[in-house]
Amino acid sequence: MLSAALAIASKDLRLLLSRGTGLVQALLLGLLLIFVFSLSQRVGEVMGPQGAAAIFWLASAFCQVLIFNTLFAIEEANGARFGLLLAPVPVQAVWLGKGIAGFTLLLCAQAVFLPAAIVFLGQTVSPLWHVGLATVLLADVGIVALGALLGALSQGQAARESLLSIVLFPLLVPVLLAGIRVGAAAFADDIPEGVESWLGLVAAFDALFLGAGIVLFPFVYGGEE
Amino acid sequence: MLLRLTKVAKFYGNRLVIKDVSFEVSPGTVTLLAGPNGAGKSTLLKLMAGLSRPSVGSVERGIADEALGYLGHQTFIYPELTAFENLAFWARLHGLAQERCSEEALLAALERMELKRFAFERAGGFSRGMAQRLNLARVLLLSPSLLLLDEPGTGLDTRSMAILHREIAAARDRGAGIVWISHSVAEDLARADRVLAIADKRVVYSGPAADYVPEAVAC
Amino acid sequence: MQTNRLSPVMPLVGIVAGLALALCQYMIFVYAPVEQTMGIVQKIFYFHMPLAWWSLISFLTVFVASIAFLRTRNWKWDALSGAAAEVGVLFSGLALITGSIWGRHSWGVWWTWDPRLTTTLVMWFVYAGYLVLRTLDLPRERLGTVSAVVGIVAFLDVPLVFLSARLWRSIHPAVFASKGGGLEAEMKTTVIACIVAFGFLWVALTWLRAAQRRMAARIDVLATETTI
Repeated sequence: MLSAALAIASKDLRLLLSRGTGLVQALLLGLLLIFVFSLSQRVGEVMGPQGAAAIFWLASAFCQVLIFNTLFAIEEANGARFGLLLAPVPVQAVWLGKGIAGFTLLLCAQAVFLPAAIVFLGQTVSPLWHVGLATVLLADVGIVALGALLGALSQGQAARESLLSIVLFPLLVPVLLAGIRVGAAAFADDIPEGVESWLGLVAAFDALFLGAGIVLFPFVYGGEE
Repeated sequence: MLLRLTKVAKFYGNRLVIKDVSFEVSPGTVTLLAGPNGAGKSTLLKLMAGLSRPSVGSVERGIADEALGYLGHQTFIYPELTAFENLAFWARLHGLAQERCSEEALLAALERMELKRFAFERAGGFSRGMAQRLNLARVLLLSPSLLLLDEPGTGLDTRSMAILHREIAAARDRGAGIVWISHSVAEDLARADRVLAIADKRVVYSGPAADYVPEAVAC
Repeated sequence: MQTNRLSPVMPLVGIVAGLALALCQYMIFVYAPVEQTMGIVQKIFYFHMPLAWWSLISFLTVFVASIAFLRTRNWKWDALSGAAAEVGVLFSGLALITGSIWGRHSWGVWWTWDPRLTTTLVMWFVYAGYLVLRTLDLPRERLGTVSAVVGIVAFLDVPLVFLSARLWRSIHPAVFASKGGGLEAEMKTTVIACIVAFGFLWVALTWLRAAQRRMAARIDVLATETTI
């Protein structure tokens, strides 16, 4: 199952990173968001670390919706979905493969968003930066697990990006709050409530939705029209 | 026995698509699946492939999952990948042994389909005939013992059609069981051993191809 | 096929709900004393609390019915989860409005990061999205499956949303001291009566909507059968 998942992930990454324009669109949208929000500061004013972290995560969330829509749209073009389903592996391999590809793409996008947030929103990097990065990685796992599950809703292209976002965003609230809080700490070195409980929360989210993905994915991804 | 359907019926929601199909595929035979458009042929083939589950009855396969080949009129090809990359992905996805998915093996498979010259070109630029030949190469990579064909000949040029017919005959000679939905039943009847004809959601004929009278279910 | 006539129990539950709610009005405005610091506005509590309670029960119902649907493929579970989600969104919406009015009066703000309020708001968003999803033009099988999956995932999220909202609040200075606690006996009785009365209303509404959904599905089938 793992090798099939890796085959799917590497195929998707090849399609999106070297040929397609899938990631470019998501990147531009995220960057635009960060830029537009930077306009909310007056000249000479600096945005608070929490605001900056919120904008970073907002950009990531929108980017993630586009990523998963593209990842699943790839399989609809020539009925390639049926090809995947015919492979002698559990269908969860598709979920895992899409998740791995989505995780990689999201990290690539965030590697652009993070410096953009620091530059446009006037942030500094505090000694807590490594905790911030760890939280980004940990939060991305949960976001991607849920994204790869719900992204499959667009199978048959009935559900659009807008629908995926209204279903997905509220569900992401716990990780987004954690990401924003710890992100603010990474910018400003100030987190009175401590990072442990936030990290614990994100880990619980990851575990819950990795489990939900494994159990529920076969229901949403199938050969029925 | 490669495949056995027992009293299979399929509903979409409350709508009945096909009912009471019992049928068996044995090695080294070509079965033509005939019937008017919308009779439920493709649904039946999807049930056989395990892409969809029967609402009633059972579908048993006497072969391993990796020995199942399914060739539809959709090509399952990623247009942004080259022909070679498409095959390589398929081989990896199916976990084929190293010697069957080596570069030489994949190129040989393309050669057989007369596509070797185009191996490193984007599959998106292929004509219908080339794309379908690539699709055929993909399926034959598995050396399937059960081959399900859903109107593979639609829109093919004569050369591609000849290759398709050649490969169907070769697969039968290897001992594979083949179930074939053809868009021109009258023409392909001579290539078949058996016929399963469907009309009005049920089986109307099941028997030797020689005794089948196509007029009964004129398309 | 199940009979499509409404069960005679259903109108009865509706009537009981109506009578019980009328009794509650009496209890709220006559029987229960006026609270000393909040005054008459405190009465909103008797609506807010049952609404919030039963909206949570609605979402739990969606969760359970969704699992049951995926396991049995019986459409009555799909109808139930759709109906419960509608009633849940209605009740949680009303709970949010009443909660907000309460907050304005007692803490001087329309909105606060109270974990319960925040969780209710997030759930309102999730299930409103779920209802939009249910209106999609998809084949019935697919729509039922997809809705059930979202119905399950949504409820799994509830405890995490609550925990995260509680952690989040610890950043902000507490705008209010813990509420509740010293309720007078009459108030307690009234609250319990209201929860029970709203329970009847909830059962009647959910049941009615579920029955309507089943009938709508049946009509669709009849319509397609006659056109074919």
